[in-house]
Amino acid sequence: ISRQVLWCPSPHCYLGPFNPGLPVEVPVWLAINLKQRQKCRLIPPEWMDVEKLEEIRDQERKEDTFTPMPSPYYMELTKLLLNYASDNIPKADEIRTLVKETWDTRLAKLRLSADSFVRQQEAHAKLDNLTLMEINTTGTFLTQALDHMYKLRTNLQPSESAHSQDF
Amino acid sequence: VLVHSLPLGLLYSYFHGKDNFCSFSFMQGSKLEIPLWLAKGLHDSKRRIISVELPKIYREAWRTVFSADANVVDLHKMGPYYYGFGSQLLNFDNPENPEIAQTILQTFISRFRRIMDSSQNAYNEDTSALVARLDELERALFRAGQKGLNDFQCWEKGQASQITASSLVQNYGKRKFTDVDG
Repeated sequence: ISRQVLWCPSPHCYLGPFNPGLPVEVPVWLAINLKQRQKCRLIPPEWMDVEKLEEIRDQERKEDTFTPMPSPYYMELTKLLLNYASDNIPKADEIRTLVKETWDTRLAKLRLSADSFVRQQEAHAKLDNLTLMEINTTGTFLTQALDHMYKLRTNLQPSESAHSQDF
Repeated sequence: VLVHSLPLGLLYSYFHGKDNFCSFSFMQGSKLEIPLWLAKGLHDSKRRIISVELPKIYREAWRTVFSADANVVDLHKMGPYYYGFGSQLLNFDNPENPEIAQTILQTFISRFRRIMDSSQNAYNEDTSALVARLDELERALFRAGQKGLNDFQCWEKGQASQITASSLVQNYGKRKFTDVDG
């Protein structure tokens, strides 16, 4: 899966037709590797730009639902590119801050949704536009909590079979 | 009909006889503390051998406190297995069971937010104050929340890509090379 375009200044490449000076799309891992070996310069994805990210952050703060992110791996890509190729990314620090602010807003929204879900004792929820990174950070907690809540709800049923023997 | 009084905490206090077994006989109407598992075994809704006295935290006075604000209660002191024990109590046909079950559920629901927020925000801090008033089930949840946070932070710092020795392997190689050469 390629995420950005890569410009190779030298023809030392066994992996494909890299022509010096011409941008090429490659997988992220290769891009990082070549960059570390100083064989190329990375071109960031078009969403990794201060204005675009400000728009996204502001929309995230305004809406109750989750904004569709420009990449399902926005956190991972931001981290990788800013770690290894910040010299190729204009206003890298601002970008880092903007992405973090968006992340924080999204997680806070996720927790708010979870609380509302629990309070209303819903059976199903659909949250669009979450990324795996966000789901993984809260997922273990949420699934365990909902599991407990489910068991406590079965207590409400008067039949004897509803009572768990090994709580 | 025998009446037993069951407090919180479940023990093996009756089973330390001289010969390591014990028998006890009791008169009708007496009150005893026995372990939960024993009470469950003796319980029979048709024959009514025993009836169970609710621990005070599950009774009406405390239930009112919980419904006012469950967050102020020190569930560790009052438990520490408030949810688990409370759920087991429902096995004994107590007329207050529906209210007890509802209170336990609502208590969990109201305390959920704080546990989630604190466990997912407290990074690298002393969390003892945050968990002090949680019962054991809530503490396990808190730990799950902390794990999610810590794993994320570890990834963010780039530690996730560092290879570290598995804890299993670390315990194997306790012998030094000199021992091997013998």
